[in-house]
Amino acid sequence: MTIWPETRVLDEEGLETVDMTINIGPQHPATHGVFRMLLTVDGEKVVDCEPIIGYLHRGLEKLTETADYRQAMGWWDRTDYLAGMCCEGAYCMTVEKLAGIEVPDRAEYIRVIMMELSRLNSHFLFFGAFGADVGSFGTSFIYAWRERERIYDLFEEVAGDRMFPTYFRIGGVTMDLPDNFEARCRWLIDSLKQGLEDFDGLLTGNEIFVERCRGLSPISTQQAIAWGLTGPMLRATGLPWDLRKAEPYSVYDRINFEIPVGTIGDVFDRYLVRLAEAYQSIRIIEQCLVDMPKGPVVNGNLPKTLRIDNGEAFIRTEGTKGEYSIYAVARGGTKPYRMKLRSPAFCNLSALREMVVGTYVADAIIILGSLDIVLGEVDK
Amino acid sequence: MTSEEKAVAPSYPGIAATVHKLLPDVPFVASETKTDVDLSVAADGLLPLITGLKEKKDLAFDYLVNIAGVDYEAEGMAVKYQLYSFTHGHRIQVTVPTGQGHPHIPSLTALYPAADWHEREAAEMFGFVFDGHPNLKNLLLEEDLRIHPLLKAHPLQPMELKQGIESGPPGYTF
Repeated sequence: MTIWPETRVLDEEGLETVDMTINIGPQHPATHGVFRMLLTVDGEKVVDCEPIIGYLHRGLEKLTETADYRQAMGWWDRTDYLAGMCCEGAYCMTVEKLAGIEVPDRAEYIRVIMMELSRLNSHFLFFGAFGADVGSFGTSFIYAWRERERIYDLFEEVAGDRMFPTYFRIGGVTMDLPDNFEARCRWLIDSLKQGLEDFDGLLTGNEIFVERCRGLSPISTQQAIAWGLTGPMLRATGLPWDLRKAEPYSVYDRINFEIPVGTIGDVFDRYLVRLAEAYQSIRIIEQCLVDMPKGPVVNGNLPKTLRIDNGEAFIRTEGTKGEYSIYAVARGGTKPYRMKLRSPAFCNLSALREMVVGTYVADAIIILGSLDIVLGEVDK
Repeated sequence: MTSEEKAVAPSYPGIAATVHKLLPDVPFVASETKTDVDLSVAADGLLPLITGLKEKKDLAFDYLVNIAGVDYEAEGMAVKYQLYSFTHGHRIQVTVPTGQGHPHIPSLTALYPAADWHEREAAEMFGFVFDGHPNLKNLLLEEDLRIHPLLKAHPLQPMELKQGIESGPPGYTF
């Protein structure tokens, strides 16, 4: 990467033009965490972009190999730390698949409620941070934080912790819901609906927001598939594909919900898809509150020490950013032999270069924001 | 391999039967994991197999989901590819067993752009060499670090050993 290349180019007016390299990050508010990108710009136009990751690499997969199946779960919370419960869910389902453990119905419904609340939590952060990227600094953040605070309050009441609840257990969940849960949850849902309406009113019709987002970096479904984009990024291109429908896990096959899609896959579509998805999450939670049966919340026949014989499994779940999948190998013993996280933000981010080249620097920031990356998950 | 084992006809569970019918020239061994049908193929048979999986209409595996390396210690290493088809909604796993060290495996970046970062990650974590990859430098680790942390031989930090999490011998040299 040369800042001043050897060969200098003269433009039509005889002025010297050189490409310039701008380093953004790793400590920069626009990169949503410790992410760094090297932009090569020609004037205001981006001609090259090199995403550099790994600043938050904590060796998750190596650590997982050193701990008991039950102990390791706590680290998986810290991958997508905006939606810890979704990661716990994927981890527990993987171990349950390997060991052939059944989960009671009530626990499945509790899990779905918690996973969807986590999804809402993550999407709210997206609306707040993305609004700030586009220019509504302050208001959108406060709207997002108000609702996320309420979700975290509920998590605290249910699980005893806010961001990293470690609430799921292999074979169920830690403990049953508190007595006043349904009333609390319904109150929360009303609040979240109001929050979504606030965002809708603040951003969706806002002229500045629409002008900056509409038509920016459109991608086709074929491109999205080739680059491995999933989640809202893929659905924004118009393909109604969601692992909760395509390969239903937990009790998602008993619940009615729709898959919102966009049309041209531009930044505005990605925002709209997430907004519509948040309403669907609320719909899922409402159904779960009604359908949830009584009964045990954890499988009562679990051995004290979990030993899993040879086997491998690939468990796919719909995380908040896309396909959050785990490939796991067990070879006897009490520890996972190998666990590989297929992280959605990692794969979405790998296509960043293709998306930002040819746009303006200010737009590159918005495109990065629209990917909704979370670095805990990208860097593992 | 004993003569008895040789006599058993190869089985093709699920999607593997279709793959064998459409790609009769590609040798692979099919088996089943807990969730997928697995095709085990040698490194030089990988590109013909994956190209066929992607381009045959009845297979149409257009989405490379994941690439994972596994270190089986004495039994060598392996690269696992998970593929999915948006057209048909089916999935498959492809295994390339390799030896220890720095085995060479053809890169899939020409077929699937998504393979880029997956292969870089597998390369730095296990020491695989993906032939034909345009930019095989470290992704998550520091740029000039030449260690492969996910190999089983790579020990944890001494601090973690002292906590009693790992029972291996303490101390290591890079």
